[in-house]
Amino acid sequence: MVSTESLNYSVENITKSFGGAKALSNVSMSVSSSEVHCLAGENGSGKSTLIKIMSGVHAPDSGLIRLDRKEFNQLSPRQAVQEGVQVIFQDFSLLPNLTAAENIALPTFIYENSKFISKRETKKIAQSALELIGVDIDFNLPVSDISIASKQLIAIARATNLGVKMLFMDEPTTALTRKEITRLFEVINQIKARGVATVFVSHKIDEIQEICNTITVLRNGEVVADGPMKDFGAREISQAMTGHDVLTTRIAPDLKISEQKVVEVSHLTAKPTFSDISFSVAPGEILGITGLLGSGRTELAEAIFGKYLVDSGEIAVNGVKLSINSAKAALDAGIGYVPPDRLTQGLFLEQSILRNLVAVGIDRYKSNWGSLPKKNLTAIGNKWVSDLKIKTKNPSNPVTSLSGGNQQRVVLAKWFAMNPHLMILNGPTVGVDVGSKREILEIIRDRAKNGMSFLVVSDDIPELIQICHRVLVIKNGKISKEFLESELDEASLYKELN
Amino acid sequence: MNFRKLLRRNETVLIFAIIVFSLVIGSKSPEFFTIANLFDILRSSFVQLIFALGVLIVIISGGIDVSFPIVGIFAGYTAVVIMRKFELNEESVLVPIALAILIGIILGGLNAIAIAGFEIPTLIATLGTAGIFRGFMLSFIGASFISDIPLGLDKFSTADLIKFESEAGTLVRLHVLVIPVALITLAVSLLLNRTIFGRSVYALGGGVESTRRLGISVKRTQAKIYMLVGGLSGLAGILYVSLQRKANPYDLAGSELDVIAAVVLGGASIMGGYGTVFGTVLGVLFINMIKNNLVLLGVSSSWQRAAVGVLLIIGITIQAIGENQKQKRQRSATSKEAE
Amino acid sequence: MNERLQRFSTAGLLADRKVTQLMGFTTFTLIFFTVFSFNIFFTPENFRSMAYQVPEIAILSIAVMLSMLTGGIDLSIVGISNAAALVAAYIMTQKMTEGGDISTMWIIAACLAGILIGLICGAINSVLIAILNVTPILATLATMTLFNGIAIGITNGVSVSDLPKQFMRVGNGTFLGIPTPFVLMLVIAIFVGYLINRTSLGLKVLLIGTNRKAAQYSVMGDRKVIAWTYIISGLLSSLAGLIIASRTSAASPDFGNSYILLAIVVVVLGGINPMGGFGTVTGVVLATIVLQMVSSGFNALRFSQFFYLLAQGGVLVLVMILNTVFEKRRINRSINKSLDS
Repeated sequence: MVSTESLNYSVENITKSFGGAKALSNVSMSVSSSEVHCLAGENGSGKSTLIKIMSGVHAPDSGLIRLDRKEFNQLSPRQAVQEGVQVIFQDFSLLPNLTAAENIALPTFIYENSKFISKRETKKIAQSALELIGVDIDFNLPVSDISIASKQLIAIARATNLGVKMLFMDEPTTALTRKEITRLFEVINQIKARGVATVFVSHKIDEIQEICNTITVLRNGEVVADGPMKDFGAREISQAMTGHDVLTTRIAPDLKISEQKVVEVSHLTAKPTFSDISFSVAPGEILGITGLLGSGRTELAEAIFGKYLVDSGEIAVNGVKLSINSAKAALDAGIGYVPPDRLTQGLFLEQSILRNLVAVGIDRYKSNWGSLPKKNLTAIGNKWVSDLKIKTKNPSNPVTSLSGGNQQRVVLAKWFAMNPHLMILNGPTVGVDVGSKREILEIIRDRAKNGMSFLVVSDDIPELIQICHRVLVIKNGKISKEFLESELDEASLYKELN
Repeated sequence: MNFRKLLRRNETVLIFAIIVFSLVIGSKSPEFFTIANLFDILRSSFVQLIFALGVLIVIISGGIDVSFPIVGIFAGYTAVVIMRKFELNEESVLVPIALAILIGIILGGLNAIAIAGFEIPTLIATLGTAGIFRGFMLSFIGASFISDIPLGLDKFSTADLIKFESEAGTLVRLHVLVIPVALITLAVSLLLNRTIFGRSVYALGGGVESTRRLGISVKRTQAKIYMLVGGLSGLAGILYVSLQRKANPYDLAGSELDVIAAVVLGGASIMGGYGTVFGTVLGVLFINMIKNNLVLLGVSSSWQRAAVGVLLIIGITIQAIGENQKQKRQRSATSKEAE
Repeated sequence: MNERLQRFSTAGLLADRKVTQLMGFTTFTLIFFTVFSFNIFFTPENFRSMAYQVPEIAILSIAVMLSMLTGGIDLSIVGISNAAALVAAYIMTQKMTEGGDISTMWIIAACLAGILIGLICGAINSVLIAILNVTPILATLATMTLFNGIAIGITNGVSVSDLPKQFMRVGNGTFLGIPTPFVLMLVIAIFVGYLINRTSLGLKVLLIGTNRKAAQYSVMGDRKVIAWTYIISGLLSSLAGLIIASRTSAASPDFGNSYILLAIVVVVLGGINPMGGFGTVTGVVLATIVLQMVSSGFNALRFSQFFYLLAQGGVLVLVMILNTVFEKRRINRSINKSLDS
């Protein structure tokens, strides 16, 4: 597949702007074969742009791309693949209606410019590709029937089959369980042994430390750290990514002791995702829920919001047992939910900020005789823009004109407007710029002070430590440990997670 | 999951439905089970099947084409007009067929420009081009009915492979078209399953972005698709003209419903990515079986469209229920950020 | 990504620009045909005849607009309008006396029956689309076939004609000097415009069309809204059918087969975004007027009706191309900026 001599793939002084915005400034990065290189950075750091430049999707404004001995000013996607550069995106780019075998073999036929494809050869190619990375999957199944972890391995098999020399893996562990991550790392080590230069793009520090040999950290389009992994500790990496010393200063407000329970969850079970989950939330309490993805944490959150069906168990709101079997039931019960993917689930991107702000409970803004006067909406909109300090020149602008942090405020405001008893936040500061992260946590704190309860589902440990009164760790669908206020510290949480 | 299971279920359900309906119709009127009737069903299916194969390809790729009958009649009519105007070889059948296919490919190319080139959504694009083609044909090529079509074409309509008189005295004819149509059907099936182009069509239906990342040129594939459909439609159009023994530029408009119904009933998903030639063949046979033999059930032929409508609604309802069950079983997929 | 581009082309602010563009285009068309065919085009008779033909198309287009705003499409509008017209016509001709007289009560009953048909057909669409989750294109193609098929089956392809003169007065008379159908159209347009801009249902329609998933997470009863949309679309289609029957004094199962293309041309020209979420009634009405002027102008210039068909298709394709081309330039930068991270 690849020779054993050490080859080098690098970019030198790459700069790229889109319109007026600078995505990358003088970025240089170098990766050798048989190396797992981490490309770290938060959303907005320029990681995606760099990947796209190296895989030929975008052309840099200036700078050089070096692939082994060849130099390029820019690449086309086809050239990139010919030179051995491939990217596995988060969605794996697999075709769900075709079999795994075909997904693996198709690119080979395409790059050989074949006109015809035979089933037998397809299977042969798939078989050997999977063997090469030490994986055994039934490749005759359509991809839509295959688990996410296996899909990823198929994507890797596909890439290695094409003789990949430099493989980018974009946030590969997002949807994997711990066991699946271990398996993935085994496969990565396999291809590393075969000489592939792997670029592991992630912001999950514990994983980076486990699998990577070298690291480049991007922040705001610039390289802020670069070198062998052993030179960097978790704290330094985090600092480099965020630009701040990790603020472990807690800002969770004092909790008034209360016997009351706003929400009480008893023995909630939805096999096989989670089982026998019980906990309660007091008024004004901020309860954190964490666990690796696949642990069931998002499903649990959505179950309490009525969007995920459960087999058994009870939810009581303010002492009243309720059947929360739809989002509407949850809303009526006073439970709100901020979904993890703001762009596709939380916002109406092309609509105005105003319209986004009133999107929940629109009917409440009606006038006495049933209409929805514009001034009602404008009033509400302006109120929230000022309450949550949403930075905008004109609330009638489309919500895409806002930065990530401000967009998240819009989603929060939309729900705060309903004055729920319990707000479930799933990944509240994902993709939010550093400055805004803290401010959003402060917004949460202020609401909690006024009596609103929160369920914060997140894998951002520092964030949980800053804002939560208690944290529950979910492992394999069960609560593995509860961390009280006094017990909250990074190291323990990380340990429990793994 | 299994839309595939649903698909397989689709074809088996269809076979089952065909058997059931055959028995029902046959029990009421035994004439149904005659060879003559069977051959008639086949004969009325030829043109539709060729259209349907084109539509199948488009639907698998995730699009929809409503301009194909117009392309068909445009090609057929224009071929005849050209033959007459330039006094081309009257006796030949192949010349008008080749002309029609060529015209169809050109029109398909125009569709390709709109869809692949300008990325206009397929329904709107083909609605628009249908208007353009039809308007152009009736304005500039001719709006009159031509009953004396070139000799070759005319004679072709009675080119029977098998022809004999049955005991009852009826004429039993199997048109020679059964061979080329069968070959074309086979060819399309092989195209879809054994060529990269064919797999690219399925890939497009599975995801445009993922297809692009595979290194497949989305635009080029789309262009080929719509030109291929155009060619097939042109062929169907000229065969129609021949079989009908007249070139009527007002014909075929409105027949897209029957063809799309056949393809959908045959198991192709309108969302793209799924569909087989076998299912389409079954779908066309089924629809024609019903339409042609409504009379035998004592139902007047003016109910043909309603019958197709009912079948289509039943078909999509069954498919939809199956899809909904599948979604429920998969539970909320919201945790998979990879979606 | 291209979905976003197409949606952006009629996003909020730009929608108003579309209306102003349309007004300019309307004026241009008016002037054009006046110049080239003054005697025939620029006459009170011509304008009056246009004023009688615009309403039915405008109302059908408004029906399509509604379904498009939710991100779907209703292709069965003509099937529904014919069905409604046939039912009303049938009742009227049955209850007509020999002399062609009929009590007003029966006319109203007939019209109500027609409207009821519209609601029922719309409800069938709603069941398929909102409850069974069938994609709108497929569902309305199927119902279009069904409604059309039933109409043909019942009537045997024969139209019902010679409707009562009292009924015809609606389609051919005037109200305060303005042709009655035109007045009806204005009433409907104002009502639908109000519905979209000033009611919660309208806002929900726009949001659902923009992002169905986010609408579900925002708990706005998206299925109910979509169900209502297709029911209202059916209602509007039936109204259009009644107006057509009244104007032409006939109801037939196959009338207006070309109206579906025309309605979509109108809607696209009128600035409705085919992906959903954006568009105005004003745009639709203006676009209908423009296209009617073109039709009438072509007539005056002695172009065939087929040339008008060609023009319709051409306008549709051209407007779609222009939308994409212009907005690609403008939007490319800001999308890359906000989505690229």
